[in-house]
Amino acid sequence: MNIPYRKIALACATTAMAVTALAACSNGSDSASSSGAKSLEIVYWNYGPAAESGNKATADAFMAAHSDVKVTLTPVTGENWGTYYANVATLIASGKHPDLMVISGEGAQFVHSNNLVQPINKYLDKDSAAKAIVGDIAKGLIDGFTVKGDVVTLAYGWNDMVVYYNTDLFKKAGIAPPKPDWTWDDFKATAKKLTADTNGDGKPDQYGFTWASNEIFPGIMPWVANAGGNLTSDDVCQATADTPQVNKAVSFLNGMITEGIAPAPMPMSDVFTRFQNGQIAMFGAGRWPIATFLPAGFKAFDIQLYPKGDTYKTVFGGAGYPILKSSKNPDLAWEYQKFTVSNEIEKQYVGTPDKPGDSIPSRRSVAQTISKVGVPPANSDLYYNSIDDYPTLVPYPAPAKYSTFESTVLRHLQQIFAGEASVSDGLKSMQSELSSIVTC
Amino acid sequence: MTTSSTLRPGVGDRSVTDPGPPAPRPRGDGAAALAFLTPSIITFLVFVLAPTVGVLVLSFYNWNLLSDGTFVGLDNFDRLIHDGRLLGVYGSTTYMALAILAVNVVLGLLLAVLLETRMPRWLRGFFRLSYLFPFVVSASAVALIWRFLLNKDLGLVNYLLGLVHVDRIDWLGSSAFAPVSVIIVNSWKTIGFSILVYIAGLQSIPDQLREAAIVDGAGAWTRFWRITFPLLSPTIFFLVVINTINSFQIFAEPRVLTQGGPGDSSRTIVEYLYDRAFGDFDLGYASAIGITFALILVVLTAIQFWFSRRWTFY
Repeated sequence: MNIPYRKIALACATTAMAVTALAACSNGSDSASSSGAKSLEIVYWNYGPAAESGNKATADAFMAAHSDVKVTLTPVTGENWGTYYANVATLIASGKHPDLMVISGEGAQFVHSNNLVQPINKYLDKDSAAKAIVGDIAKGLIDGFTVKGDVVTLAYGWNDMVVYYNTDLFKKAGIAPPKPDWTWDDFKATAKKLTADTNGDGKPDQYGFTWASNEIFPGIMPWVANAGGNLTSDDVCQATADTPQVNKAVSFLNGMITEGIAPAPMPMSDVFTRFQNGQIAMFGAGRWPIATFLPAGFKAFDIQLYPKGDTYKTVFGGAGYPILKSSKNPDLAWEYQKFTVSNEIEKQYVGTPDKPGDSIPSRRSVAQTISKVGVPPANSDLYYNSIDDYPTLVPYPAPAKYSTFESTVLRHLQQIFAGEASVSDGLKSMQSELSSIVTC
Repeated sequence: MTTSSTLRPGVGDRSVTDPGPPAPRPRGDGAAALAFLTPSIITFLVFVLAPTVGVLVLSFYNWNLLSDGTFVGLDNFDRLIHDGRLLGVYGSTTYMALAILAVNVVLGLLLAVLLETRMPRWLRGFFRLSYLFPFVVSASAVALIWRFLLNKDLGLVNYLLGLVHVDRIDWLGSSAFAPVSVIIVNSWKTIGFSILVYIAGLQSIPDQLREAAIVDGAGAWTRFWRITFPLLSPTIFFLVVINTINSFQIFAEPRVLTQGGPGDSSRTIVEYLYDRAFGDFDLGYASAIGITFALILVVLTAIQFWFSRRWTFY
């Protein structure tokens, strides 16, 4: 038999390539550090093109300002912040040692309780430039990232929960734009007027309001906060899901469904689509929807504060680049974190009318330029004013096991809003399950 | 004249045709085989065997991905018994998996037989493409579109049902219909593969057998049960095994459509396992679930193989 040496050689080469590729997978991050240059590895949540381009622009700008530093970005996927943290944990378990990772406010407890993060208190005390930056950042944003006295990170951007309303639908129904001091009763009456049967089949196909079924932040939290409640105690060590305040908020939302003013809750991405095509008149979210609406040419919307219940509190969450304990160069990592809240970078989050940023800059001086450069909505100044001028919900209920916490809350809410459990029974079951999840 | 010279070596009368012991393989064949197999062996070792062993080892540990693991013996397996949700999730998984299996195997066969009946070539091509197309589309993309269509108050499906005076159905929000939605969407996506395999099986059945049966006066029903079904039984068996394994492992559809709810009514065991691993960071317990689930699937498959001897004809 003729031995096909060429084929064997090809097979061997293929094998070698496969092995090399596998080896490359595990050692990809070492190349920069072995070259002798200073390096930083940064992990971020790659939720879409905006995250990718934003992080790349920041890294490029940092490298341009620090020519001896090589920044390596590691995008990590995830369907939400919770799964992103899980995937980062997997990355760390596989031997990666990033210097910084992007986290949201919900992740502050997670990285702190897992001893992953280096608090920045010492830098804030010593670095004079940092003091000037902190003075330009709302106190709530610093408090929101402080766990047991440790400041986990400076927030580079944040989002507060506001009500988006479709201005065309309001005009069509002859309703005046809502005012900041509107109440739950005003809200319900407005939503009722905006609910309509437009095709004459006897059933509504345009609804006054809906909320995200897949997240609690833009879902029930603003209502719970304005009813004077929270889902956890102030120290985030105990669940408080079956209090009268939470019951009041959930009952209000459930009533919207049973009265036919709100449709069955749907995930946020579906809400965006239905809001743009006029099937939903109002919904709640942060600033991120504008990154979807404006590039799609949809500008018929504005924002207002959530209506006042027994109280009013701004529900917000931020994001930052905490320095990880695995960092071999924490001082350089601090410089990077500080750079992410510099004016130069913060301006990226303002964006332009055609290419808006998807969160609110943390620096007050920069955020106040949003309306000046003409990025919709018209009431854009409300974004920052909501945290400067109104009380905030601190802490945001984000226990260390946030992903489990959120999925448990959502699972029970699903049953309540589907009419398969009463509000009281559903919240009791939720509380019972959360009691072993929300602990210290 | 002997016929032995026409026989292939090793066939027929051994005393006449025995070629003696097989000629030794030329040296180098083994090395060549090994060289060609090496990529597959490495892939198997790295991506199948190593993770499997890893999961088995992990199932004896308490590990949250970030800190050092602690050996806990059989504790994780003991937790399986006391997990109040696990049995319910197994129940919903089994319900949805069996329904998807039935749709794929029974409806798939029916549609394949219909597609093999006489019709214009372009129409046959159109139907085949229509059934196969969803199979090649990403499960998440399919589920996203269906989620939009199945929305109770604003979805197209309920709008169309409304035209024939059917009240709005809470496809995604009620415990009764959420698993049904998962069954419909998954079956819609996967049935094309079953149809494709069935068509291949049907086309391998010689026409002469059916023609002979027609000559003998056998009707369509008799021809199906006496000729088509027995000769198609290996194909059916293959699809039963493959669809059983696949349908018990569905993840994307319930995840995107219903998030497993309401409650656990449409949650699958793979979704539950994923949440324990990457929601709770409880890798040890998730591994224990994974190991027991894999064992259950192995036992199920073994039963199917054992039972197939009674009805499969090769």
